[in-house]
Amino acid sequence: MSQPVSPTDSAPLSGSDGIPLSLGRQLVANGCVTARQLDLALQRHRPGGEKSASAEHLVGRTLVEMGYISHANLLDCLYQQFARERDLYQVDTTLAPVINLEGVVKILDNRRVLDAVDLAIPANRVTAIIGMSGGGKSVILKHMVGLMKPDQGSVKVGGVALGKLSSRELSRIRGRFSLLFQGGALFDSLNVHDNVAFPLREKTRLSESDIHARVMRCLEEVNLVGMERKFPDELSGGMMKRAALARALVTDPEILLLDEPTAGLDPIIENAIHYLICDTYMRTRYTMVVISHAVPEIFKWCHHVIALHKGKVLYSGPSREVGQSRDPVLRQFIQGELDGPIQVI
Amino acid sequence: MVDQIRHVGSLTMELVGEMGRMFLFLWDVMLSFVTPPFRWTNFLKQVHFIGIRSLFVIALTAVFAGMVLALQGYYTLSRFGSEALLGPAVALSIIRELGPVLSGLMVTGRAGSALTAELGIMRIREQIDALEVMGIQPLKYLVSPRVEAGILVLPILTVLFDVIGIWGGYLIAVRLLGMSAGTFFGGIESSVEMHDIVTGLIKSVSFGLIVTWICTYKGYFTRRGAEGVSQATTSAVVLSSVLILVCDYFITSVML
Repeated sequence: MSQPVSPTDSAPLSGSDGIPLSLGRQLVANGCVTARQLDLALQRHRPGGEKSASAEHLVGRTLVEMGYISHANLLDCLYQQFARERDLYQVDTTLAPVINLEGVVKILDNRRVLDAVDLAIPANRVTAIIGMSGGGKSVILKHMVGLMKPDQGSVKVGGVALGKLSSRELSRIRGRFSLLFQGGALFDSLNVHDNVAFPLREKTRLSESDIHARVMRCLEEVNLVGMERKFPDELSGGMMKRAALARALVTDPEILLLDEPTAGLDPIIENAIHYLICDTYMRTRYTMVVISHAVPEIFKWCHHVIALHKGKVLYSGPSREVGQSRDPVLRQFIQGELDGPIQVI
Repeated sequence: MVDQIRHVGSLTMELVGEMGRMFLFLWDVMLSFVTPPFRWTNFLKQVHFIGIRSLFVIALTAVFAGMVLALQGYYTLSRFGSEALLGPAVALSIIRELGPVLSGLMVTGRAGSALTAELGIMRIREQIDALEVMGIQPLKYLVSPRVEAGILVLPILTVLFDVIGIWGGYLIAVRLLGMSAGTFFGGIESSVEMHDIVTGLIKSVSFGLIVTWICTYKGYFTRRGAEGVSQATTSAVVLSSVLILVCDYFITSVML
């Protein structure tokens, strides 16, 4: 059941001149800021006036700091950019998926958590995995990085079956991933800076000054500058998730897996995390897999949706079409109704 | 009847399986000793945690063990008119038995339980999984330095225990009971041999391995949340303590 897509199948985000719209240009096009204000913000953000894509992207935050736009404007603009791309997304079965599960069966404590699961994660897209609690979503994520091995079937990353790899080869494959754990999994004995620096210190030969620069850049991206000396137990839930996201981003992974990044957070922080995920995607174009219970909110923030129920895939396809599904289980789940095939009470 | 046999069989299978997993874990840890990268900072941190921070409890245990040994020994030996043998009795008991065993038990209680709890919490908070996803071998990063430090540190703590314990015995025998210092130390010098010291050191190395192996194993494979951590810690301390005593018997019977 491979459902890969083309990374180029969406229309470019273009202005009238055909040039892809960056965030700054989008803000100007929306009338949120003038071109002059954008230039001022760009100069302030990068004193040399560098107009790279990432500089222009990060300029959104500078525009907020300068009081030209509100956070809501910025979020709205990012969302518009992403939504345009999401609405044009089509599943393309001719392209190889980046991650592929074929007939995966997993039995835990005598319960069939995954029951012959076939799924494909499209490259360079945001894919959301939804489903009831205990439905095997986190188990799927752990299979993708080789933390769990299937009892039957195979998991392939870039066409390579993980089950056949030596620990060294598996370690190399894992270098392509970053995983944001549900609880953050920050190391209690390290402060935020050292937590984010940890993978760089352990896996690269970068100098301490380079590591510090990269850590601070990532902390800036997740709005945690000033918190770098705090320890995990001194952070709120939202800060902890953002620190964990910074640690996941610092290694520049090809594939970013996010296990319930908004679980247990209030709606404002949840929105902020969605914004961060969208912001990260628009800037990096990583392949992202997000496990989420934030239904239907999550459909706004992903291209592709995979719905799981009782260890089987109910739906796999574009997020804009998930609401049209006639599957009663999926409809009940999306609408959160008590009556239906899923008996909760 | 059939149910009982089945139950016994299942318990036996579980026990054999657990032992197999423990030895495989130990084998993997041993392999990781010689596999790069070598993280000296981690190792030194564990030497500090297991060794330096156990010094106080070791010194306290040693001085009172030596004192009570001297007190009991004096009244027992005086019944046979052999008070002069008190020094050798205290020294040999401490060097061959009490030093390594009590050091092992104290390290189990102070550091071993903490090792299990720390690794257990790391496991349930997915920090060990996070290490794996980063491509860092958790056995190499977390377990190896702790086991290496235990093997290195316990003989040093045992030697300290021996010295302080004998000094505790001296306090009671010479300062309190009025024995001559020459008799006390002369007897020790003439009766303690290198073989006795080596036996004590072999025991302490073995106990260092046992404590860190069992405690890291129990912590590393902790399951079921906070309750699991508490169970793992209790079972690590109990199993380590029992294994220290069992191993002590076998080493003694071989080395005598």
